[in-house]
Amino acid sequence: MSNSTNINQLLAYLQSVMQKPLIVDEEAIAKAYQKSREKQSLAIKVLSIFGGILASLAFLGFLMMTGLYDSKVGLTLFGFVFIAGVLLTSKAYDKIIIDTFNVSFFIIGLTMIGFGLEKLRMSDESLSIIFFFIALISLSIVRNYILSFIAVLLAGGSILALIISSNSDNLVNAYVASMAILMSYFILNEAKLIVQSKTTSKLYEPVRIGLVFSFLFGLIILGKRDLLPLSKDFIWLSGTVVVCIIVYTLANVVEVLHIHERKQKLYVYVISILVLIPTLLAPAVSGALLILLLCFLVNYKTGFAIGVISLIYFIGQYYYDLHFTLLTKSILLFSSGMLFVVLYLLLHRKLTNDEKI
Amino acid sequence: MKNIEREDLYLLIRHSDIGEEEVEKVLRENSYPDKKAWETFVKLMLITLGVGFSVSGIIFFFAYNWASLHKFVKIGLTEAVLISTVSCVFFIKNSIVKNILLTFASVLVGVLYAVFGQIYQTGANAYDFFLAWTVFITLWVAISNFAPLWLFYLVLLNITLILYIQQVAQDLSEVSILSLLFAMNAIALFFFTGLAKYRLEISVPKWFLQIVALAAITYATLGFCMGLYGRYTIVFPLLIVFILLFYALSIKQSLATKNLFYLAAIPFSLIVMGSALLIKISDAEMMFFFVSIFIIGSVTGVVINLLRYQKKWSNEQ
Repeated sequence: MSNSTNINQLLAYLQSVMQKPLIVDEEAIAKAYQKSREKQSLAIKVLSIFGGILASLAFLGFLMMTGLYDSKVGLTLFGFVFIAGVLLTSKAYDKIIIDTFNVSFFIIGLTMIGFGLEKLRMSDESLSIIFFFIALISLSIVRNYILSFIAVLLAGGSILALIISSNSDNLVNAYVASMAILMSYFILNEAKLIVQSKTTSKLYEPVRIGLVFSFLFGLIILGKRDLLPLSKDFIWLSGTVVVCIIVYTLANVVEVLHIHERKQKLYVYVISILVLIPTLLAPAVSGALLILLLCFLVNYKTGFAIGVISLIYFIGQYYYDLHFTLLTKSILLFSSGMLFVVLYLLLHRKLTNDEKI
Repeated sequence: MKNIEREDLYLLIRHSDIGEEEVEKVLRENSYPDKKAWETFVKLMLITLGVGFSVSGIIFFFAYNWASLHKFVKIGLTEAVLISTVSCVFFIKNSIVKNILLTFASVLVGVLYAVFGQIYQTGANAYDFFLAWTVFITLWVAISNFAPLWLFYLVLLNITLILYIQQVAQDLSEVSILSLLFAMNAIALFFFTGLAKYRLEISVPKWFLQIVALAAITYATLGFCMGLYGRYTIVFPLLIVFILLFYALSIKQSLATKNLFYLAAIPFSLIVMGSALLIKISDAEMMFFFVSIFIIGSVTGVVINLLRYQKKWSNEQ
């Protein structure tokens, strides 16, 4: 975290970038800076979330043992009261130190509503829709990092739950495709979204990581065979959308790499598309690649690490599930490996030649 | 101006009239990777995918168990691939590519033993298979100065120990098993922390130390909980002493290096242990209520402490 000297340096730098004089609310900056000194490092975020989950488990154990679970209306009512309480507390008193409390009571509230409404014989579909609206309402009220992150996960999770509970499993492809578009829009338009309003600027980071995880959940369902009875006829739909976004993202990469010649650009696109075509039927692999590319493009380290881990996992899972003999798999893997090595050598030679010039 | 913290930038944007185009320019010029970073990234990605896929292809080839191949050819082929991979290391200048090749050569040693195991029916999960694999890559691990290979080596050590316990030392209690695993990872952590401190030419990344520490802390926590609920053995009090010693040293190291990780992970482990102890004392319903309050209270306390250190260290910068 930077100190006030850095803030002043940054301010001076921004002033130099601007064409016109920069109007700054210095008092508000000093105040906000004082508050932001409570910046949440990753350690604090993870601690608050795990602490919240652990505490909610203990509390649910208490509820179960006391028999309070038997009262359907009581469970539902208290669930809603807990959620409302968390939202109001977070709105009135946005401090990191109450995050663990908020996370645990948010989870407890959701679980109570879930159990209560299920005991009241509400269908899974309706329950998913209610959870989705709870997520949307929470997102519109809270400005807190962890709660907004959980709300985005809840929204994504409830859409998936709705798809699964209504036996429309193939719609997961539509989910993955829309999440890919939404996530890419968020990551590629950082500047636009953070200047739009104070709200979007505050919600930008938690929503971005929330979308990466929500997209990943969809990929896991598509990437892990037999998790859902998905038809092979629709899988290319999500694959095509993801591959198209990767190709669109490549335009940014081509720009950063200062590739201006038409012929060179064509090479980049043709080779990339050829490499990506086999992943049309494996959207999990191309999806992980998309996370990796997008996050590297904007220097988003947490997302990049998620991309690397998921790419390794999905490639492994893809080959494990493939219904070919081990010999065919071996030939496929070895020849793609050789293709990448050749591409590496070509690139290496090209870059070395460029340096000599 | 390099090293702009995104959160500081967001804060200034919220309270000024800076426009989208300027922000885009600031981000592009200062935060986003430049041409050089992209070139390195694409090169590393291609070589990792290339070598990774090729080695996996080779592994699948041998897993196919091609019956018509003579055992001499099978072992000979694997050794030929292994030798050529290692030979490449001598001709390549780029140290990262060298290390990637060495890492895959280390995987190939495992393939070699798997082929051996397949021919002589020693079984794929025999502990001595993993032991031999670990032993024979030790030299490469030692000279590599490459954290992913160290991590791979530690994973192999953990697997070897777990398989040894399952196959040979079956009468060991769960506490003893977890204590051994804890001790092994704790020793590795001290070794690499010392390396980072006293051998500055060796780069020990923070993420590597944190993964090893997380493994040690997880085994310690599980060991304590198992000891609490399982059959009493003399190992349990010893484990507690070592855990306390390890935690104290880690916290000291954390304060010296201004690293928040241990100050978050160790107290969290203590909170889990404390909750397990409370439920062991009484598993009545009110205790569960008390435990949930205890967790919320103590995690909040830890967060306050972390914020305090964070503030202090940022002022010292």
